[in-house]
Amino acid sequence: MTAKPKIAVYKMSSCAGCQLEILNLEHVLLDVINAVDLSYFVMARRDSEPGPYQIGLVEGAVTCGEEIEKLKQARKECETLVALGSCACYGGLPSIKNWTPQRVVESRVYENPAAIHSTTAYGIDYYVAVDAYLKGCPINKEELVEFIKSALLGAKPYLRPHSVCVECKLYENVCVAVSEDIPCMGPVTTAGCGALCPANHKACDGCRGPADDTNAKSLAQTFKEHGLNPGDIKRKFHKFAGMTPEFDKGADIL
Amino acid sequence: MVIARNLEAMLQASSIAFLPKEKLNDFVGLLTEEFLLYGPVQKKTEFVFEKIENAAQLALDYHTTLLPPKKVLHQPFETLFSFSEGEGAVDDVSHVEEKQLLFGVHPCDVHAISILDEVYSHEYEDPYYMAKRRGTLVVALNCSTPGDDCFCSSLGTGPDLKDGYDLLLTDLGDNYLVETGSKAGQELVEMARLYSAPRVTLVEKEKRLSDARKKFKKRMITDGLHDLLEENFRHPVWEELMKKCLACGSCTMVCPTCFCYNVVDKIDLGLRSGKRQREWDSCMLLEYAQVAMGHNFRKDRDARIKQRLYHKLAYYEPQFGTLGCVGCGRCIHTCVKKIDITEIIGRIRGE
Repeated sequence: MTAKPKIAVYKMSSCAGCQLEILNLEHVLLDVINAVDLSYFVMARRDSEPGPYQIGLVEGAVTCGEEIEKLKQARKECETLVALGSCACYGGLPSIKNWTPQRVVESRVYENPAAIHSTTAYGIDYYVAVDAYLKGCPINKEELVEFIKSALLGAKPYLRPHSVCVECKLYENVCVAVSEDIPCMGPVTTAGCGALCPANHKACDGCRGPADDTNAKSLAQTFKEHGLNPGDIKRKFHKFAGMTPEFDKGADIL
Repeated sequence: MVIARNLEAMLQASSIAFLPKEKLNDFVGLLTEEFLLYGPVQKKTEFVFEKIENAAQLALDYHTTLLPPKKVLHQPFETLFSFSEGEGAVDDVSHVEEKQLLFGVHPCDVHAISILDEVYSHEYEDPYYMAKRRGTLVVALNCSTPGDDCFCSSLGTGPDLKDGYDLLLTDLGDNYLVETGSKAGQELVEMARLYSAPRVTLVEKEKRLSDARKKFKKRMITDGLHDLLEENFRHPVWEELMKKCLACGSCTMVCPTCFCYNVVDKIDLGLRSGKRQREWDSCMLLEYAQVAMGHNFRKDRDARIKQRLYHKLAYYEPQFGTLGCVGCGRCIHTCVKKIDITEIIGRIRGE
């Protein structure tokens, strides 16, 4: 076999939870390391190997000028660039600041906002071409393994594009929306998480962003009919993927 | 008069027996010795078919289950075979007939299983489905209280059952009336040493079913359905549905007659072995009709909504000799938007 493909893990504005999921692959981690070389992975190794890399996993939203430069460099040194997690896909949780004026947001957090050079939080494809999206907050680690295997084989990975509802049905979960009248983002959110939240009796939070052919407007209408106030509806759609046109339509219910 | 005529037909039917409710546990116990037993059990506010070990687990007063008992014969996820470098494809356990029994299946779901039997043996036999089906007995249960979304009475698929079962139970209060529909069913009655019931019990059964028929809240007129749908391909209802439908796919995932599946290979990390697996797929999903180079034959949501309804109510009959809907009401119950197949047909009819 030829040399193992080299993987780099980059971090933008994020909580590092997605890259932690790589280490949480405990049961197969040795097999992963056997198959690929985690060449640049600051969280896990003391030294780094220089690029170029076959696969770059980029975690986090882009929220300042330095990150734009870092991202462009990552694009240059990686054959395949992957948005790792919803922050890198859509702006994720950091993008909730986009709906409040910049100075107001900054002064809420920092004592001296003059030192902050923050920009609108975007997913990485706002700045560079992206080859694949691994959605979720955090990512589903099995889906990451599936992606790595497909990349090694040169095959298209099967990343579920449809709604979370499909997975809820496959696992025969009791529907929190229909059976318990809890407002659930499942019908508009991308599956691939194994319907983790509904399986644990929690409504889907929409962390994986819009599914194929999302009809957020219709779901927002249902939320409204079930007594959710417009502010809550807006927050539901803006929480992880408000920057996507699909979810923005849901937030635009008013 | 209707009752009298039905009774005459029933008097010619095969033997009938009593299963006293206090003996249900013994009966179920006997069945578990011979079979892997699946029956309706409560799951929070809903019901599901699960493996059971004793009668206490059963919830035979259930209205409907989240997934139909189809899931035992055509599983949501199923490994077809495994493979490895050097050895090639290795046949897996899927062909193995397991002696299993579906207990307490409602008439709508029994009809749906008969439809799947036809679908999976019609032109090309599906060995995975058929192997499981051959080893499976069905103990059906007539419906005495239809649910809010049920409309089987419109389709002739309930609340009572004529065939497709090995045993058929009807709740008569203290007893279940047990009718046999096959030799295997007759053997079960003999094995359990059930007392034969007097023919007059069938009158009591018919009374209960007649009461049940009055309780339906939904109906769908099926006369000329094929032509009606063909003529209304551009009806405004489709555009309204396109705006309303979430395209989440739930309606098809819970349908007892939906048979589509996707096939995926699960490769091991060493890239030298893996397994081929199939899982339920749905025509309501955008990816379903997507082909090479990204073209999609049913890109628009209304095209997919129409495909689902036309397949069940117009395309099925010429191919399989029956409608593809059994009126179980699951698609209505599961829909977050409460899209209702009976209302759509009623609307097109101008009711």
